[in-house]
Amino acid sequence: MARIIINGVKYEVDDNITILEACNRLGISIPTLCHDERLNPYGACRLCVVEIKGRKNLEASCTTKVRDGMEIETHSDKVIRARKEILDLLFSNHPEDCLTCEKSGDCKLQDYCYEYGVERGTYLGEKKDYPIDDSNPFYIYDPNKCILCGKCIRVCSQLQGTNAIGLENRGFKTKVATPFNMGLANSNCVSCGNCVAACPVGALMPKKRIKHRAWEVNMVRTTCSYCGVGCQMYLLVKDNQVVGVEPAEGVPNHGLLCVKGRFGYSFINHPDRLKTPLIKRNGKFEEATWEEAYDLIIKKINEIKDKYGPDSLAGLTSARCTNEENYLFQKMFRALIGTNNVDHCARL
Amino acid sequence: MREVTLIIDGRKVTVPDNFFIIQAAREVDIHIPALCYDPSLEVVGACRLCLVEIEGSRKLQAACSTRVREGMVVHTESDRVVNMRKEILRLLLDNHPNDCLTCQKAGECLLQQYAYRYDVKFREHSGAKRPSYVDTSSPYILKDDSKCILCGKCVRTCSQVQDRKVLSFAGRGFNTRIVLDADFTLEESSCVSCNRCVTLCPVGALVDKRLLGKGRLWEYEIKEVKCKVCEYGCDFEVLVKKGKNIAVRAKEPGKGRPLCLKGRLTTEFMYLDNPERPYIKENRQFIETTWKEALGLKDMLDKLLNYEDEEMGVEYNG
Repeated sequence: MARIIINGVKYEVDDNITILEACNRLGISIPTLCHDERLNPYGACRLCVVEIKGRKNLEASCTTKVRDGMEIETHSDKVIRARKEILDLLFSNHPEDCLTCEKSGDCKLQDYCYEYGVERGTYLGEKKDYPIDDSNPFYIYDPNKCILCGKCIRVCSQLQGTNAIGLENRGFKTKVATPFNMGLANSNCVSCGNCVAACPVGALMPKKRIKHRAWEVNMVRTTCSYCGVGCQMYLLVKDNQVVGVEPAEGVPNHGLLCVKGRFGYSFINHPDRLKTPLIKRNGKFEEATWEEAYDLIIKKINEIKDKYGPDSLAGLTSARCTNEENYLFQKMFRALIGTNNVDHCARL
Repeated sequence: MREVTLIIDGRKVTVPDNFFIIQAAREVDIHIPALCYDPSLEVVGACRLCLVEIEGSRKLQAACSTRVREGMVVHTESDRVVNMRKEILRLLLDNHPNDCLTCQKAGECLLQQYAYRYDVKFREHSGAKRPSYVDTSSPYILKDDSKCILCGKCVRTCSQVQDRKVLSFAGRGFNTRIVLDADFTLEESSCVSCNRCVTLCPVGALVDKRLLGKGRLWEYEIKEVKCKVCEYGCDFEVLVKKGKNIAVRAKEPGKGRPLCLKGRLTTEFMYLDNPERPYIKENRQFIETTWKEALGLKDMLDKLLNYEDEEMGVEYNG
């Protein structure tokens, strides 16, 4: 344990953790744009700087470990001045379009500018001016809004393992880019959208089918229905319509999703979506109840089994089911119907 | 009352014949944008954003001030209408500060909402903009003239209360401004800080000063409450952030009631975890005061405490 003093209050915390982690556990909020618990500390944005007694420079709390006897100020005048300066510099090289920006309301840069009273960028001069990459069908990349926190790149390499993007050039010209600048559509990006979920600003944004602002949607937590992993996610609901998906923290997916779960939601409100079973009567499909459908299935299976024997039947189950459901399915085929003809789509 | 049937965006609507088109549209969930219209106010047709196309009518008509007619065919989002709305929004934004980044109104600003809906952005231009005159004299209301779009909602709602009528238009053309009395500050004027104007301002020109810097609208969980000072019960909202009751703000006045500062302060005191010190206006100056004074409970509390002492005394003696 390390005994430390934060803002004049004594605490005892685990040693071997960073100042930022200690503050998070103690409920002291420190702003950060580049930090993500799932990733290695990076120390890029410098917004989490704190004052440590005895040290000449402000230190980034995300990369500095606590030490016994440390005296830390998280919101001293010097620290606040430094944070304001950083925000001012960032916003000076950022488009001023919170009016219609799709990220507005969920943007870390906006949140901190409000919190620290940075109303505008005071450094007048050149601004980034790059074309927007909208070659990916699911999301866009607007380099002009990018603050170079590097989260997207690190999520792509450290968590997703795809390595589709990286930083190119130096200094003012630094930019997140795909290999040979060929655009996202021509990179090995798998469109998982995990970079989009990590982006603190409006640089990486999902393409929206229905326009909505962050404050207009209700977040409904649910389990992804695409496979048996059971990823946790939020459905974004506006006017009783699902307009987007955001990953949820926690097991099993820890804020990650795949392309299906993240972007394949438009079936939910699709007018052609089947909501009841259909039974073909007189050559036409008609809506039926689940009881009718199950009765029909049982009746047909029994008929076929009686007439042609159990091995005339075969079952193919789905990867969208859980392990338990797949187990029950094979049990039904082996024990009830009496055949070993059972398989699973993931083996094909 | 006679009923008429009209067609709005291909949908049949039957409404009483004294309805305006904008009201009829809302019956079928069609929201025609409008900055100066409010059901509680006299119709003025100032902002022109609610323009719609009516078949057989050469010009676009304001939906807030055009009554429904039998057989009318209305288009609320035709290309002509949308282009006109975009132009109006562009002109409004040309004369509006670009500071949604930190603006207190962001999240419920109608100008922001419609700019997003019609995809209109700020333009760079070298022309004049409204001067930035911010009235910070009141602890309850912040008035920022540079953000005003001159819809006049504040003036109309203020004039609905007989003994208030504080706000009015002054100047002409580009120099038109909203002023209090004879162009006094919020403090010097006869404003009673009821916040009627704040509840109706569509932009960030009039905001509740006690909310300033406390958070963004989208961060709050909102609890709707009724004021309990008198039996009419004006609507208030308690803004909750991270489980704490941070602020109270006035909403619609109860039927026949004007909204008042006493009600607001009482609601603050009842619901807030850490109510800020109250201010009252004396001789056209805001003075920080105690809650006892502000809620008008001083005499009663003193008497009550004395009375209890006496009662207890009697009991002991007995």
